[in-house]
Amino acid sequence: MKKILFLSLLFFSYSAFPSDTAPCGDFGECDEFSPQLNNIESLQSGAATFLNHCYGCHSLKFSRWNRIAKDLDIPKDIFVSNLVFGSDIKFGDRMTGSMNHKDAESWFGIAPPDLTLATRAHSPDWVYTYLKTFYEDSSKPYGVNNLVYPGAAMPNVLSAMQGQQVLSCKDIPVIANNGGVKRDDLGNDITEEKCGYLKTIPGSGTLSEKEFEEVIYNLVNFMTYIGEPSRADRERIGWYVILFFIVFTSFAYLLFREYQKDYH
Amino acid sequence: MTEKSSGIFQWINKRLPIVNTYERHLSKHPVPKKVNFWYMFGALASVVLILQIVTGIWLMFGYENTEEGAFASIEYIMRDVDGGWIIRYMHTTGASMFFAVVYLHMFRGLLYGSYHQPRELVWIFGCTIFLAMMAEGFLGYVLPYGQMSYWGAQVIISLFGAIPYIGESLELWIRGDYYISGATISRFFALHVVALPLILIALVFMHLVALHEVGAGNPEGVDIEKYLDDDGVPLDSVPFFPYKVLNALVAIGIFGIVFSVIMFFFPEGGGYFLEYANFEEANPLSTPDHIAPVWYYSPFYAMLRAVPDKLGGFVVMASAVAILFVVPWLDRSKAASIRYKGPLSKIAMVLFVMSVFLLAWLGTVPVTELRKTLSVIGTIVYFAFFLLMPIYTSIEKSKPVPDRL
Repeated sequence: MKKILFLSLLFFSYSAFPSDTAPCGDFGECDEFSPQLNNIESLQSGAATFLNHCYGCHSLKFSRWNRIAKDLDIPKDIFVSNLVFGSDIKFGDRMTGSMNHKDAESWFGIAPPDLTLATRAHSPDWVYTYLKTFYEDSSKPYGVNNLVYPGAAMPNVLSAMQGQQVLSCKDIPVIANNGGVKRDDLGNDITEEKCGYLKTIPGSGTLSEKEFEEVIYNLVNFMTYIGEPSRADRERIGWYVILFFIVFTSFAYLLFREYQKDYH
Repeated sequence: MTEKSSGIFQWINKRLPIVNTYERHLSKHPVPKKVNFWYMFGALASVVLILQIVTGIWLMFGYENTEEGAFASIEYIMRDVDGGWIIRYMHTTGASMFFAVVYLHMFRGLLYGSYHQPRELVWIFGCTIFLAMMAEGFLGYVLPYGQMSYWGAQVIISLFGAIPYIGESLELWIRGDYYISGATISRFFALHVVALPLILIALVFMHLVALHEVGAGNPEGVDIEKYLDDDGVPLDSVPFFPYKVLNALVAIGIFGIVFSVIMFFFPEGGGYFLEYANFEEANPLSTPDHIAPVWYYSPFYAMLRAVPDKLGGFVVMASAVAILFVVPWLDRSKAASIRYKGPLSKIAMVLFVMSVFLLAWLGTVPVTELRKTLSVIGTIVYFAFFLLMPIYTSIEKSKPVPDRL
């Protein structure tokens, strides 16, 4: 028993080792994103955002049109007339994008990557944070830069909704050695100016901050789905398989105990 | 059984030793009656081997072994093939679980001295299986042709280039091209699905035949052959079927739970089972910031990086596996099991386990000065465990081993 305890201790101390580099670039830790893959409404809205705003440049080449329509409960005629742009596209085709790679390279310097697996290669947290951290930077070709991925060669496509987001500074309380807020002799909090915070200029976008947050949430939810369309199924079926093995193990154990009486 | 079918059975049995084989290896095969959970991992390893073969065959239905098609064909299996994702996750989870159970199985061997006389050959066949598995795992990891497949292969294949004189031609011969390409994928595919599985199956067969000849060990290190009943069956044994089969069934059940939790809820294993960078198609023009092997190679990778010289690193890494083969002759202790060995063996074992865990972690993270020093320390401790074994096992006093289980 002592040995098992020791080994498990070893194991846990092992998993507690720190990993270095901040996952979300200059932003630091990414904002957490928890997907809702059974929330069809959110996925539908995300699909609409993607196909209207992203699909012009980014393909989803491993996915097929009809798979999305089926999984997201969108009737074929509504799907084709509202979300599929291009008359020569067949319903079962792969979503190979509408932009020519050569053109794209000459326009952007780099062809916009395929996004089918973006949330798997970078994690949904990363994509979620990335999409929210564009800010105005006149030194860049598109007038914007990104905190998560500095120098991103992409305009902020959703800026009309979000409005102008800028980097700002603000006064934050100085923390004393004992963990409390540092105060001066008169008892006022001592503050210092820190920069690098994102601020949206109120009224500059068509959506409120909360509405925009929801648009991004739905979009990343859709991108999480498209990264692994079977994930909702996987997590549903998983419970049954585990349940099966629990029942199997219980019976196997009972049988084992019965037979063990022969030699104990 | 009717008269007639038993007649047919007799006819076959006279020509093919069904009953004999069944009795010798299952119904009458004696196994120690008292073993603990550590003795379950061998059975689990064979279950995973079968799982890998079956799921591998199914994956081949949809996989395309070309430079252009490999990555896309994996996504085709994941999306367009009915149940394809189940097969694929079984195979990827199975790969990690195969190494997990084999590492535990090997550790059991070290813990209870399963390599002690007369089980030296069983141990050596086992080590050879491990070596074949390492090759099999590496080849398989290249096939999806993601970024880590490509760059991992680049690192590993270039190691062979460090061998003097023949290195460069050897590298070229392995790759089949001047850089990793379609030629590399198609030969790795052939080796991964035909050559190495055949070798693995043959080795497992030999491992089991040798094991059944000398009989299984036990955690006490007791020789059960000393006390036999009138029929020549060890008194402290039970027949394999049904007793040990039931043992294995319970183990398989518990393993099934662990396996399904990973497969259905954490198939990427936090980036350790399926690396995130491998969801990006291989790109020879863009090196990932940080190339890390899958977790099961990481202790060896850390040793490779601990040595500044490429050839030296390669030699150290290869020796780390090679040294396992001679363990039966390094251990001079009279007691097989750690339970009856002296305190020096116990301390050595603890340090050894710690060094492996330390190296495993170091192999997955980027190098810093401190980590480099730690890798050197870990590597020294790892080798010291084996190289000093003849000394500490002969100077320490082991406790007397009991006669009976």
